[in-house]
Amino acid sequence: MENEFGVLSRVAGLFSARAFNIESLTVAETLDPTVSRITLVTRGDDRVVEQIEKQLKKLIGVIHVSDFTGTAHVEREMALIKVRADETTRAEVMNIVDIFRGKVIDVGPKSFIVEVTGDEEKIAAFIDLLRPLGILEIVRTGKVAMHRGARLMFSGNEESVQQKEEQLA
Amino acid sequence: MATAKPSRSMQRTRTEAPHLSEVAQAPHPRAGVEMTNADAIVQVLADEGVDTVFGYSGGAILPTYDAIFRYNEEHHGNEIRLVVPATEQGAGFMAAGYARSSGRVGVFIVTSGPGATNSVTPIRDCQADSVPVVLITGQVPRVAMGTDAFQEAPVFNIMSACAKHVFLVTDETKVEATIRSAFRIARSGRPGPVVVDIPRDVQLAKCVFRGSGTLRLRGYDERLAALDRATLSPRDAEAFFRLLGSCERPLLYVGGGVIHADAAPELRAFAERFGIPVVTTLMGIGAYDTTAELSLRMLGMHGTAYANYAVEDCDFLFAIGSRFDDRVAGKVKEFAPHAKIAHLDIDASEIGKVKAVDWAHVADAKRGLQQLLEAGRDFKKDFSRWRAYVLELKRKYPLNWNRESPRIQAEYVLSTLNEITRGNAIVTTGVGQHQMWAAQYLDFHRPRTWLTSGSMGTMGFGLPAAIGAQLANPGVLVIDVDGDGSLRMNLGELETLTTYDIPVKVLLLNNLGDGMVRQWQDLFYANRYSGSDKSLHKKDFVRAAEADGFSFAKRITEIAEVRPALEEFVQYPGPALLEVMIDPNAHVYPMVGPGMGYKDMITGKFIPSRDKGPKTTETPPGYF
Repeated sequence: MENEFGVLSRVAGLFSARAFNIESLTVAETLDPTVSRITLVTRGDDRVVEQIEKQLKKLIGVIHVSDFTGTAHVEREMALIKVRADETTRAEVMNIVDIFRGKVIDVGPKSFIVEVTGDEEKIAAFIDLLRPLGILEIVRTGKVAMHRGARLMFSGNEESVQQKEEQLA
Repeated sequence: MATAKPSRSMQRTRTEAPHLSEVAQAPHPRAGVEMTNADAIVQVLADEGVDTVFGYSGGAILPTYDAIFRYNEEHHGNEIRLVVPATEQGAGFMAAGYARSSGRVGVFIVTSGPGATNSVTPIRDCQADSVPVVLITGQVPRVAMGTDAFQEAPVFNIMSACAKHVFLVTDETKVEATIRSAFRIARSGRPGPVVVDIPRDVQLAKCVFRGSGTLRLRGYDERLAALDRATLSPRDAEAFFRLLGSCERPLLYVGGGVIHADAAPELRAFAERFGIPVVTTLMGIGAYDTTAELSLRMLGMHGTAYANYAVEDCDFLFAIGSRFDDRVAGKVKEFAPHAKIAHLDIDASEIGKVKAVDWAHVADAKRGLQQLLEAGRDFKKDFSRWRAYVLELKRKYPLNWNRESPRIQAEYVLSTLNEITRGNAIVTTGVGQHQMWAAQYLDFHRPRTWLTSGSMGTMGFGLPAAIGAQLANPGVLVIDVDGDGSLRMNLGELETLTTYDIPVKVLLLNNLGDGMVRQWQDLFYANRYSGSDKSLHKKDFVRAAEADGFSFAKRITEIAEVRPALEEFVQYPGPALLEVMIDPNAHVYPMVGPGMGYKDMITGKFIPSRDKGPKTTETPPGYF
């Protein structure tokens, strides 16, 4: 979408006006600073999702809409978790963090903040393992996603990597 | 401000605004001139061919109102006419009436806060009926925004949910391009309302006028270009004619999209070329001559019995610029139960939204029909048996009313009016029974002559819309067919008629309350008239009109008075109000109850029904 104020609120407003639920939403600038990208997770049957896609395409500030469902893509989200970590549990927390290739990014006298990135399942499993040790607070980003391989989502057109490289050259 | 003689500016706007590429070739005469943004706004309005703006002034929009005054001082004979309503809602519906009746973008300009919030209803109404208007709202100065300043309202947030698009211009270098873009967005694709919110200090800031250029809207521009390129593939065309060829009983189901696309000639050519009967939605009235042999008039909740029977019986339904609205489709599963469905619409989101289709094409109705006509050059199929059947439906199940009652029936008033005007008038309405009766009993030969709040159903639409329509169509007879409830809502605009000497005729069908609400209360709420009976109200509409300077304001109560009074009323040269006291207990029939199928249509006592046995009128729970 155009990187201008108001576009995000129109997207969010479209969902609330139609009583569609937003499960997660992330938004940030792209390679082209005049374009920002929203990754939005919602749930509905094929007809609802088709309606959402078509309605989004009616918003003036929306440049391109792509439904990732069923496409070859990777998705990631990040979580920061403040977990109780005293003498008795520190080693176990460190152990779990290692296994999940997470990071301890803050150490306090009674707690750690750990950072973990992955898909939804991995983060859920990570949280499940930490829970018995005493999770104090969680903050999660929404999902971001990207098509695998040559497919690109760029400036309103899906172009191949080759085209893009030619453009850059 | 007389409307009888068109001014030079009126003539100027008969042609569309110059295309941007032409502007680029010949530089704008004021390009490079330093001016305030308020002056730039008015210059762009003039460049876009705006000859009339509707609106109400106030603190935050004063710089722009002042710019209009100064522009008009410098452009004698070519002024932008400013029409001031009683309230901003009136301005909005005037702009809507102007746009609906002319096809040009209607413009209204209001101040911040209450001026803007009073404009929400017409903006939403225009969005729901796809009417191109541009609303310019003043906003409090940038430094004051978000502080609960005097007359501040969050216009961007409020309007975002209602308009096709909203701009809040905080960058003082972008005003000119934004206004130009607003017009482009309003009139392109599926038309709609665009709101431009401009803080007072941005209006006052200086700019160098460029004379051309719009904002970059990558996604929208690309989608519009794709729509312009949309061609019917040979495969799709073949599929269409294979479907049509396999059917025996085709029907065209036509909506407002045909009118917005100026596709009435193509529709007529299509219907006549293939010999297919036509039903229209409330919004589609005028797209097809109601007096033509193939016209079955309106379908739906209060459509004609023969239109609805044809929908029941058809085996191929071609929806053109229509969208299976709940007032049309009723119980979706049972709508056109035997028909294959084809859908031509400019808005991809309408395809399959309500009902699954067997064939669809996304394009504007004009191009789509042209391409189908072209592709079907050699198509041959004789539908004459079906046409004869449909004409028989028309003959056997005509509209009718209680002709024995000593009270004046609205149907009689309207069919008498129709005999006088013969479809040669622009008609606006409020919302309710009178609106449905007008849709049923008045004839329309041309698009843009029937103006009604279809989707939103906004009471109070009729009078201000008639004002806008009259200003866009000087010399044409404009009649507001209104109800007492609806007229009351924007009654202040009676004075606007006399202030500007606008010769609109207000035909008030007074049934002492909200007739359609009472009809539902009769049918579904055991005659409990909660909030809808106004028989004890004191309003004297004739004296109200006289107080506003009407020299023709009459009330009639007897059947014998109807025809002579209507003749006098229609011929009166200035603004006129005729109040007809009609039977307060009358119902609109036919009626397909809310959420019901056409097979459950009630035709009432006076319209023949092909079904035996009385219909239940119970409404399914959970539906409105």
